Amino acid sequence: MSKKRKGSFSVSRFAVYSMLGFGLIFYGVPLLWLFVAGTRSQVSLFSDPVFTIGTWAQAKETWHDLTSYNDFQILNWAKNSVIYSLGGVSLSLATAIPAGYALAVTEFPGRKSILVLTLIAMITPSQAIVLPIFLELLALGLNNTYLGLILATGFFPFGIYLSYVFFSSSLPKGVMDSARVDGCNRFQLFIHIALPLAKPVIALVAFFSFLANWSNYFLAFVLLSSEKLFNLPLGLTALINSSGALENQAANDIPIRMPEAIQAAIVVVAPVLVVFLMAQRYVRTGMLAGAEKG
Amino acid sequence: MNKTSQAGTIQVPKDRMKRRRRQQRRGLVASYLFVLPYLCLLLMFGVIPVIYAFGMSFFDTISGVFWGITNYKMAFQDYRLEEAIYNIIGFVALWVSVTIIVVTGLSLMLDILSRRVATTIRTIYFLPGAITSSAIVVLWLFLVDPLVSPFQAVFHMFGWEARQHVVNGLGMVSLFAIMSFFAHSGGWIIVMGGALSGLSREVMEASRVDGANLWQQAVYVKLPMIWKSVALMGILTLAGGLQIFVEPQLMGMAGPQYARSDWSVNQLAFQYAFSMGDFGISAALSTMLITVSVTIALILIFATKFYQVK
Repeated sequence: MSKKRKGSFSVSRFAVYSMLGFGLIFYGVPLLWLFVAGTRSQVSLFSDPVFTIGTWAQAKETWHDLTSYNDFQILNWAKNSVIYSLGGVSLSLATAIPAGYALAVTEFPGRKSILVLTLIAMITPSQAIVLPIFLELLALGLNNTYLGLILATGFFPFGIYLSYVFFSSSLPKGVMDSARVDGCNRFQLFIHIALPLAKPVIALVAFFSFLANWSNYFLAFVLLSSEKLFNLPLGLTALINSSGALENQAANDIPIRMPEAIQAAIVVVAPVLVVFLMAQRYVRTGMLAGAEKG
Repeated sequence: MNKTSQAGTIQVPKDRMKRRRRQQRRGLVASYLFVLPYLCLLLMFGVIPVIYAFGMSFFDTISGVFWGITNYKMAFQDYRLEEAIYNIIGFVALWVSVTIIVVTGLSLMLDILSRRVATTIRTIYFLPGAITSSAIVVLWLFLVDPLVSPFQAVFHMFGWEARQHVVNGLGMVSLFAIMSFFAHSGGWIIVMGGALSGLSREVMEASRVDGANLWQQAVYVKLPMIWKSVALMGILTLAGGLQIFVEPQLMGMAGPQYARSDWSVNQLAFQYAFSMGDFGISAALSTMLITVSVTIALILIFATKFYQVK
């Protein structure tokens, strides 16, 4: 009896392992392939086995084609991406941390409404409001500007929620009370007591805001019309659309072909991957906070 | 002890009460100053655009005349809207059900592995989340091309020799569902891992002592305890899926034969604003999409206990 049970047990173990292994292939192989394929030539992509590793010289040549194309266009897009991300992250931090603090530790008329609106904005997918934001910024003359996109992405309700949850649960009440007794006013309290304790949530908000900003496509696509202002995700598609790199029989002399398109995609993806691997702890905390009640 | 201190508060001198009131007022001002910068953004990019689009949806924006619900009527007369609605319903149904089944399944399986192994595997599952927006479409246009894809052996089994065969064979709905699942499910596996690790050890131990094997434990003990997280995942995935834009919009990168500019409702709204300059109909379509999303958000906030506002 017990022997039979042990036998069926290992069969199901085997099933579990193979399904998890199947998952590893599904999630892992495309990424692995992307990074390997970036080192290969166009010919090699079509004729060699799929996981052939190219040469360093080939990768460098592709990189040169990609970066020098159209007057170092992609470097300009990368610079833009950095500007948008820095601006968006700074603005979301500057607004989220104080607001989350006030919402968590003080009581004032309108507090509940702000919290509810923040939650609605956080749960509503950001794509839902892209076109209305475009219509508004168009009326204000802020479309197709750095400022318009930075302001729009600085609004980061998830950051407020994270900051609110953090200050509601992690500020030691005793410290706050004794500081107040010592004569600290609200601003001193925030700057000298709350802010130094808030490092984890600052990192958390910065992390998620960076992810949202760096990979922002739809809003940037709608707001920005001149290629000079594009960020990397937009630039990637502009590059591919103009060169036909993904159409197998592109008939032109543009030096942007499959390997260049692959390296361009790597440029878009790599910073996020690096941040992911460096900040796994934050990913986990933030996702749990976002998906479960605070 | 308590009584004396209460008596003490009653006998607060008048000037002290005044001071306290002044302090309270100052505190109030401080709170508003803390919230003010955020409040500006909330109004400017949350509240006002919605109201603005809502208002605009009742105007003929080309000649600037109020014309009631004509924009909505015109939107519904566009045969493409019906098609787009069917497309997103199919996409959402597939993406949500695959997410619920596969994420829950994989999470329960990972839960029986040792913690370190499970964490490593979860990280690998999660990495595709780094590939977002346009890069995900670029990557998948390579992945569905049997000439270069690492999955070419699978495609050959189906007799698909060119990208067109794969795209036609899978269909747009499944293709977009696979792309979205690839990018977003890893994050949910981490969330489920968190939910599972929060379950009481005693209950697990008790069920084991009662003779439950791993399968029974997963299905009859763990699953009922995490179903709320599963439901939340389903609802948020549904809300996100209705807004699909990037994936169909970018298919044209592989060539004009793949380009679909009116596959989803969001694309249609974009088309009206950008190709036809008709902001009124665009605003009407956006208003409808927002109404659905906000309704979902309101249900989550007020009818469930997922997010608590204290």
